[in-house]
Amino acid sequence: MIFSPVAVLLLAASAVQASVLTLQSPKFVVTDALGSQLRAEPFSLVHRTGTPVKLEAKDTLKITFQVVDKEDGKGVQPHQTFIRFFDPSTGEEGIQPIRVTGGGKAKFELNPSKPPLYLPPTSTEPLKVSLIIGTPNYDPITVRLFDLILPASQPAPTHPDEASFHVRPELHHTFRPDQKLPPKAVSLFFAGLTFAPWVVLIGLWSQVTPRLTHLFSPSILPFILSLVAFESLLLTYWVKLRLGEVLLYGAGLGLVTIFTGRQALSSISSLRKD
Amino acid sequence: MFGFRRWCLLALSAASLLCVDAKSSTGDSVLVVVDPSNQDKYSLFFDGLKDSGYKLTFRSPKAEKPVVIADDVPNFDHVILLAPEARNLGKDITPQSIVQLLSLKTNVIVTLPTKQSPLHSLAAEFGLILPPPGSPLISYFPQRDTPSSLIPIPIEDHSSPALTKHIEPVWFSGIPQALSTNPLLIPILRAPAESFASETLVTSGSADALVESAEKGGEGLWAGSALAAVTGFQATNGARIAFVGGAEVFSDELAQKEVAPYVKSGNADFSREVAAWTFQENLVLRIDGVEHHLAHENTTVAKEQYTNNDNVVFSAYVSKWDAKQGRWEPYSGLKDLQLEFTMLDPFIRTALPPVRATPGKYSTTFRAPDRHGVFKFIVDYKRKGWTSLQSSTTVPVVPPRHDGYPRFLSAAWPYYAGAISTSVAFLLFSTAWLAGEARDRSSKKAKGSKAE
Repeated sequence: MIFSPVAVLLLAASAVQASVLTLQSPKFVVTDALGSQLRAEPFSLVHRTGTPVKLEAKDTLKITFQVVDKEDGKGVQPHQTFIRFFDPSTGEEGIQPIRVTGGGKAKFELNPSKPPLYLPPTSTEPLKVSLIIGTPNYDPITVRLFDLILPASQPAPTHPDEASFHVRPELHHTFRPDQKLPPKAVSLFFAGLTFAPWVVLIGLWSQVTPRLTHLFSPSILPFILSLVAFESLLLTYWVKLRLGEVLLYGAGLGLVTIFTGRQALSSISSLRKD
Repeated sequence: MFGFRRWCLLALSAASLLCVDAKSSTGDSVLVVVDPSNQDKYSLFFDGLKDSGYKLTFRSPKAEKPVVIADDVPNFDHVILLAPEARNLGKDITPQSIVQLLSLKTNVIVTLPTKQSPLHSLAAEFGLILPPPGSPLISYFPQRDTPSSLIPIPIEDHSSPALTKHIEPVWFSGIPQALSTNPLLIPILRAPAESFASETLVTSGSADALVESAEKGGEGLWAGSALAAVTGFQATNGARIAFVGGAEVFSDELAQKEVAPYVKSGNADFSREVAAWTFQENLVLRIDGVEHHLAHENTTVAKEQYTNNDNVVFSAYVSKWDAKQGRWEPYSGLKDLQLEFTMLDPFIRTALPPVRATPGKYSTTFRAPDRHGVFKFIVDYKRKGWTSLQSSTTVPVVPPRHDGYPRFLSAAWPYYAGAISTSVAFLLFSTAWLAGEARDRSSKKAKGSKAE
């Protein structure tokens, strides 16, 4: 008989793939601190346990099963029998090998009051528990068993520099509040009050009009104009000038005022001598 | 068979010649420490580097020259240590000299051996915890024909910032690394969840040995997706070092091995990406300049000092190295750049958003605090895998000058009214006095003259 090499390979491959492991009497039990059973169910490799397993602080979770060869039912001690706790929201993971005897009997216990180091910190989502069995010459098994809800724990420790590798909270400076000014109506009213003497003056002037006969004579007018100029220099200084500038202008104006003043006052004194 | 392989290699190198070459931002000279008898095993990887413009210098582990550092000056821009089986790598390559290379801004790729070697202590310096010697990473998943120590690892897109494109599953053979919480560590390739580190020879006592090692506590068991197969570390001065669990990742054989029917493995792409990240081609940023000025309409000149409560505009210009073009291009893709205005402690921390009109410019306006003192504009941007951006500009903030306070307040109107009234009244009085008549005298004189 002539066998094609491919057919021989296929036969050999199928012979290898015939080694399948399965679990005998897999079950998990949740007992509370006093020893009474809260939940005892078998779990299966084929479909996941629907309701999440909730563990309080003093409860204990026990998982037992026996790893057997599917063909002949003999117990097998796999190289790798791990139980894996995974939190998909934070990416934290914890893996623990399960002690399996030579005959394949496995027992695993979890007590949150003595939390083992490998347990990941809790978050808002339940932990996904899976079983990983791998050994040479057999098909590997990785299967999700159930979701586990543990009592809340501290968050995972982070490096002190870790915060500087992410966006940091914004900081704002609280400024001193703006100066509060009194209402403008009040200021207007009191400004109006300061104008009251003007009213009196104008009233009196309406009765006694001063006669400005020499206003436009050429000896008096320049002095009056330089006085006006001085006052306007003072006003401009208040609005926008600096000390150096105003002293400069003031010096110039002062010189002019000396001459016009002499002229004006001498003309007045001569007028009055007559 | 031999001719077919040769033809494949020729075709691949011809194809790679047509590829766009990607340049490093820090230089082109690479020293490769590899056993000459193994050099052909990595020919695809080396040819890929050469086509991108790198100048490779090969050195055997037993040779003394060319030296990596001479007189505190590095001779090469990048170093690849591809000889994990060598006992020692030469007198000038020791863990201390590799750390010195990094401080001199030379980038290094280190392949870790499975057996004990000085490189294990080097990895420990960087926060990597390695399994005991002789226990490589093995996995029974997925079921396959290869030995359990040769693992196909699928790579999710965006699983690591260092990998910038989609990569097919990668064949890996080597040791895993457990990572400390140091934020400077960047895992590039994570181990699969079902993998663990163990001796490859499985005996009846192996399962118990695993349980015993786990019960030792601490890092007794290396297992799961918290491990990394390839890890990168970016030092604070910007130099990068990649720790690869095994040299086979770079080999031609694994690059051509199929992970699925008709799907080539991603090893060639992955090796190139690891080299691209480590040799400062990808994810390299720099600040071109910063400027600050008052927020008035027409000033862009920086002031020497600012006053309390000034509105200040701060701008930063950031470029990214474009490996394909081989030059720095302005980059507006940083979404979370932040500015701190600091005097001993940050007073203000605000976001620096990119400006639409100018590529590469990030700008913000804020109000200077009403404390005076010497402040600093600090831009301190650190993200895993990216070069860190640091910039600090010192600027004094002074209290307002005597004429810097608000003037012409509404509360002072009565005083203005009073003072102006005084001036006007003085002018009117002096006008009246100067221009008016001394009536008594003139009327007396008139009367007197009339009387005569």
